[in-house]
Amino acid sequence: MMTAPTATATAQATAPADQPILELRGLQKNYGPVQALKPASLAFRRGEIHAIVGENGAGKSTLIKLLTGVIRRSGGEVLLDGAPVALANPEEAIAHGINAVHQEVVLCRHLTVAANVFLGDEQTRYGLLRKRQMTRDAQRILDDMGFNIPAGAMLGGLTIGQQQLVATARATVRGTRFMIFDEPTAYLTRQEAAELFTLIRRFKDEGMTIVYISHRMEEVFELADRVSVLRDGTLVGTRDIADTTETELVSLMINRTLDQIYHKEQIPRGAVLLETRGLTGKGFRDISLSVHAGEIVGLYGLIGAGRSEFALSLFGRHPAAAGEIRWKGQPVRIRDVNAAIGLGIALAPESRRDQGLNLNLPIGLNLNLPVYDRITFGPLVAAREEASRADRQIADLAIKTPGRRTLASSMSGGNQQKIVIGKWLNHGAELFIFDEPTVGVDVGTKAEIYRLFAALLKRGAGIILISSYLPEVYELADTLHVFRGGRMAGTHRYRDAADEVVLAEAIGVE
Amino acid sequence: MTTTTETGTDAPVAPKRNYSVLFALTLVGLLLLLCTGLAIANPIFLSELNITNLLRQGSMIAILAIGQTFVIITAGIDLSVGAIAGFSTVIIAMLLQAGVAPWLAIVITLLVGLGIGIFHGFGITRMGLPPFIITLATMTSLRGIGLLMTKGSTISINNTTFTDFSTQSFLRIPSLFWMVILVAVPAYIFLDHTRWGRYLFAVGSNPESARLSGVRVGRIVFMAYALSAFFAAFVGVLLATRIGIGNATQADGWELQAIASTVIGGTSLFGAIGSIHGPLIGAFILAVINNGANLLNVNSFWQRIITGFLIIVIVFFDQMRRRGR
Repeated sequence: MMTAPTATATAQATAPADQPILELRGLQKNYGPVQALKPASLAFRRGEIHAIVGENGAGKSTLIKLLTGVIRRSGGEVLLDGAPVALANPEEAIAHGINAVHQEVVLCRHLTVAANVFLGDEQTRYGLLRKRQMTRDAQRILDDMGFNIPAGAMLGGLTIGQQQLVATARATVRGTRFMIFDEPTAYLTRQEAAELFTLIRRFKDEGMTIVYISHRMEEVFELADRVSVLRDGTLVGTRDIADTTETELVSLMINRTLDQIYHKEQIPRGAVLLETRGLTGKGFRDISLSVHAGEIVGLYGLIGAGRSEFALSLFGRHPAAAGEIRWKGQPVRIRDVNAAIGLGIALAPESRRDQGLNLNLPIGLNLNLPVYDRITFGPLVAAREEASRADRQIADLAIKTPGRRTLASSMSGGNQQKIVIGKWLNHGAELFIFDEPTVGVDVGTKAEIYRLFAALLKRGAGIILISSYLPEVYELADTLHVFRGGRMAGTHRYRDAADEVVLAEAIGVE
Repeated sequence: MTTTTETGTDAPVAPKRNYSVLFALTLVGLLLLLCTGLAIANPIFLSELNITNLLRQGSMIAILAIGQTFVIITAGIDLSVGAIAGFSTVIIAMLLQAGVAPWLAIVITLLVGLGIGIFHGFGITRMGLPPFIITLATMTSLRGIGLLMTKGSTISINNTTFTDFSTQSFLRIPSLFWMVILVAVPAYIFLDHTRWGRYLFAVGSNPESARLSGVRVGRIVFMAYALSAFFAAFVGVLLATRIGIGNATQADGWELQAIASTVIGGTSLFGAIGSIHGPLIGAFILAVINNGANLLNVNSFWQRIITGFLIIVIVFFDQMRRRGR
């Protein structure tokens, strides 16, 4: 990645005044066969506020991680003041003055605000911490920024919004020239958000370059000078805010050249499998919907809109607090996971790593986990049945593996997803809930998963498909429900509304 | 069916298959190497008396280690097994002193152990206490309860049929070692050939995934700790036959020897990796080291140092190979 130092020196010497502070040239990132960021070229102007918008999984976080040195690029180069930089680790990025405030606060809850502000950069005298000095300095920085936060307080005692502001303060004490805000207002109150905007404008006046990542169009138009749109890992365009409209941005965010992989088969709709009425639980409120046999019900929304919480609740993991669930017309109570499985519900959860797989165990054990009560002979596991069931799923789903004894951790994302799905095919169910089934999955496997949906529907199963990727739910779902802030923000039949309308409902643009 | 799996073998993986066998062979090799070395250094090592003695020494730790393995596979730990063994000697001694028939005394003692294990399960799954804490609490308090019950004294066991058991042999193999086989064979079948064994691994690997696959995680945790405590009570009974007394301070530090055996035997403290044969071999490696140190007149303090060193070396190599996969 490093180029000859002489080139660097000449580039700096001849740098014109309007040279971009940071320039990406064909920057890209691949995870195996999955292109998280396709070669992107973009120049950030000195002292601008540059918004980046895109759907979940469009490559925004990949871009941030590349710029802050959290992950290493697969190709291309990054020029800082015209000189190539490696950005091999977070320390290097910080040393270059590149800093980020993340959506999730990554600070120490059990330390004071001041200790967090100076974490890794502590003031010492004779090797001892100068706590009082640091508390005073931190307080001055916070007051100066207009935040009403006591520097001596424990971070964990603050609201998430206040913690976010502390994270902002922390980033500024490190000589930041290039600051990235990743959805900073997600947890902020209106008042806190206004304070933050004032601060961001002040940073800009002081010559800092700001990258502002957000879903909220009104913020982008209020704050930014320019905006870039990412879609499916591709940088599809950059506009001056003055020259664009919300409508244009939304249409840029939506994939118009739909892949061949979506082909919806017409499958007759059967009887009602599941119905919820006013279902309310942690993270979602008043959800009423129904799923028929032979139907895909899509749940679209941004991450944190309450879709996964709703799904987990249906599956008995966090039983709903209020409302009614009917299964084939009969009112049921789903108190735990086993009750849901007993009814005939299956869940391929959102996070393969945390919820879906036993990574350091063999594929075969993963595939058979829900059915061990059926394949025992007396007290013993019927070894031949265990093996043949695993092998059947591996063959049917074309899981690429040397065999069922291979550990699940050594498989690629697509194959891991097949294992999660295969375990429920092995078990059999009437209602399949797929939560983000194609995240981190290559295109070929995606197509296989979609074909599998059709096969399940033909067998008379119903599917709830949760996705943050609009083309997927838009093209596949017979009924599409849009979630926003834990509530249902809209319902559409297949293609009865334009995709812009659906996206606008999810983001909250009128 | 198996032929169809060869459709795609381009995945960049190494099969797990031979690894555990290889590791077990390495451990057996180490055990044999130690034995050979000791036999050369001191011919007494191979005498029948010494071998019998060694097997008796190793047997009780081996049984504790098997119980501990169930718990460690679920990514937990049971610090109380030594204390349960000591406490069990008190229970059985008092029962025998009170004239209870030996078989009934044994059953009651085992049930007390089971009860302690169920209490651990309750503390972990219902009260949400970390396994380390709840078993640490029983570890200290059981010794106290045992001492209170005996008022700090030692209860001797006068039933000679009971105490003779430990000195007996069958087919020239000491009865205590037969007990290891009695425990290890069902334990192996349980762990490797029943669905409960599969569930233990699943819970240790990722409890959330296990739960979302329909495994009743709480029950499995209960089961693991109940088994461990049950085995510990069984060791307490064996210990009582061997020393002929009931005293709550017995089996001091055995929990750490059991954990060490388990870890040397390739069980991962992070859960989901473990076997029955591993801890067995581990326990006897430790027993041979202790025995050898005694025979060679090595200062007993060195035994501890060697044991600690061995734990580091074996686990380090095990980790390295796992990571290399």
